[in-house]
Amino acid sequence: MSAITAPPRELAKEGLVAWLVTTDHKKIGILYMLTSLAFFLIAGFLADVIRLQLAAPQQTIVGPHEFNQVFTLHGTAMIFLFVAPFGFGLANYLIPLQIGAPEMAFPRLNAYSFWLFLIGGLTVFSGIVTQGGAADAGWTAFAPLSDVRVSSGAGQDLWILGLTLTSISGIMTAINFLVTPIVFRAPGMGMWRLPIFTWEMIATALLILMAFPPLATAFAMLLLDRHAGARFFDPGGGGDPVLYQHVFWFFGHPEVYVMILPFFGVITEVVSVFSRKPVFGYTGLVLSAFGIAGLSMGVWAHHMFTTGAVANPFFSALSFLIAVPTGIKFFNWIATMWRGAISYETPMLFAIGFMLNFLIGGITGVMVASPPLDYHVEDSYFLVAHFHYTLGGGSMFAIFAALYFWFPKIWGVKLGEGLGRLHFALMFVGFNLAFFPMFFLGIMGMPRRVYTYPAQAGWGQLNLASSVGVALITIGTAVLVWNVIVSMRKKVPLPDDPWGAANSLEWATSSPPPEFNFRALPPIRSKRPAFDLHHPEFAKDSPK
Amino acid sequence: MRFAAHTTTLAATLTLALGGCSAIPSDTTQQAGQLHGVWVVFLSAAAVVYALVAGLIMWSVLAYRRRDPATVQAAKFHQNVPLELAWTVIPVLVVAGLFAVTYAGERHVDSVVTPPGETVQVVGFRWSWRFLYPREHIAIDGTSDRPPELVLPANRTTEIRLSSSDVIHAFWVPAFLFKRDAIPGIVNVFDYTPLKEGVYPGRCAEYCGTFHAHMSFTVRVVSPEAFARWARERGAPA
Repeated sequence: MSAITAPPRELAKEGLVAWLVTTDHKKIGILYMLTSLAFFLIAGFLADVIRLQLAAPQQTIVGPHEFNQVFTLHGTAMIFLFVAPFGFGLANYLIPLQIGAPEMAFPRLNAYSFWLFLIGGLTVFSGIVTQGGAADAGWTAFAPLSDVRVSSGAGQDLWILGLTLTSISGIMTAINFLVTPIVFRAPGMGMWRLPIFTWEMIATALLILMAFPPLATAFAMLLLDRHAGARFFDPGGGGDPVLYQHVFWFFGHPEVYVMILPFFGVITEVVSVFSRKPVFGYTGLVLSAFGIAGLSMGVWAHHMFTTGAVANPFFSALSFLIAVPTGIKFFNWIATMWRGAISYETPMLFAIGFMLNFLIGGITGVMVASPPLDYHVEDSYFLVAHFHYTLGGGSMFAIFAALYFWFPKIWGVKLGEGLGRLHFALMFVGFNLAFFPMFFLGIMGMPRRVYTYPAQAGWGQLNLASSVGVALITIGTAVLVWNVIVSMRKKVPLPDDPWGAANSLEWATSSPPPEFNFRALPPIRSKRPAFDLHHPEFAKDSPK
Repeated sequence: MRFAAHTTTLAATLTLALGGCSAIPSDTTQQAGQLHGVWVVFLSAAAVVYALVAGLIMWSVLAYRRRDPATVQAAKFHQNVPLELAWTVIPVLVVAGLFAVTYAGERHVDSVVTPPGETVQVVGFRWSWRFLYPREHIAIDGTSDRPPELVLPANRTTEIRLSSSDVIHAFWVPAFLFKRDAIPGIVNVFDYTPLKEGVYPGRCAEYCGTFHAHMSFTVRVVSPEAFARWARERGAPA
């Protein structure tokens, strides 16, 4: 292994300046996570506006102009500025710790990618103050709706520019996620001993490197169409609106897995620790991550079944196949719990919630991957329900599991269990109340992205139930914020491993870890070095 | 609370599967009959898979609770190759079966009868629809305040030639379990064979800007005789 060179000189160790100039992976990870959570609160507020407006038919709390900006920014922020970047933040924090390294491979690049992400996010939202308001063409910005003749405002340009910055930021951070675990592993940390979370991030990084450049391409073409008369997507000039969808979804579907693979890793770690058992099916979990990543590059046009312009059976078949490696993960989690000794601390509750919710997201995913069914439910509330079950009930629940699980490591403080359970209960009940009715609404014929609906459609009661659910989610989020405030006030020193039987190396250093992570590295002789260190009597049972 | 909510979800899924099959129409068009068949297969499979996997999850969670708080290692098994092969191969077979059902259903629905009994050109625009009956010389233009009505004869196949004059829209009749995108520069062709007379709401499903929510229409299916009468009254002389 090559020698690790001295990290860049720090300009300041403490205070605001230290955070502004830092190249420390832990500080950058924290900045990423805090920023993404701030965007989550904003996007959550926008969800409240949507659900208030739709709680009953023919309401006028907001008009169509405002509503269309609100749902566009809600989707944009949740996808580009919350779920994916939270995964990046967690990975920035954890990868060097999990592989026994002092830093990321490219610390300055890492800092640069964070600041680009923040500036990109703010650029998207800055559209609010322009004349005509923020972008309102949806998070997909299909041409020709996003063309300058239809969406003439500067808000759409700022949206395109901002997201181009975040996509460049994602590419740079992916280079770090890929290179660091390959070249910076501590002695003894073979590739087949990497924690599953780190493996999932390697697969995620490969996906980003394949999928994000096409996104930047789609946006560049859109900008050229808007301001340089390129007419890539203008049928009047020999262009093709369907081409935009191809390029966008060539990014967009892998992006779905960029937003879930890291969290499959989170769930794997949490389930193992709270079941008091080694991860079941390590090899299968690693291979399935790459199976999902590989297949996800070939399914983009399942978002385009109703265009009549793609080879539906091909994309349908590959999409169905993704259920197989995803199923492998489920069965491995169940087998990890099987004959375990399970305790129900908040991270585990959120992991259980994740499994139950994501299962529904996955099953309905197979349904919408079938063109004959998609012909009915595409762009309906059924689809809205489906992807919220994967991204909200799935990724968001895993984000909360991660938050409760690694909070003691990052801040040296355990979040309160009582408030944590309350948070979980509100989230689980609220989430299912909010999104399960949407499956019925979609089948009944309610299209997505409508700012109002007629009373005679008969959708009022289910929409009201959904809005009550979102209110519960909002209260749950307030409980989380309260929990953080209360818990941070009473600091008690925590051991290296506050959960009692944690596996990976981040639990073999202090909470929080010192600068450059480890004062001394424990010997790495199995897949769970921290466990071996704290429980040498069971080390002989550790998978090698 | 968690378990209760979960049970509710499970019950709701089964309700969706069993009740859903009857809530999803099968007799509005000949094509909807085919689509309904695919829905029944998928909803049944969804209910079975959900009950199986969610059942395994909840069983593990509840049956293997930690009894001795000092436990740091429960059972130590962490692999079983035959088991892992089984839960790889069996899902492949399941999705292969689902794909066969999908393929057959789609082939039937996407096939277009030639020559059609009727032809209607449908053009989406912000924010309504234009229906053109070329043979009968009828043009119906809607506005977002006055949704247009598409009149179709029952028991005859009508070919829809769908396009758009501005952005992308989608022509969706929920009761027919079918939609198709209206894309500028492209003419999408599909057909309906309505079986049941009645009035069915239709909507734009592809977000198309400010008044997307008001881009609705109705479909009125009438007897072939009533259709001929309507066409004579509405039609302009050739």
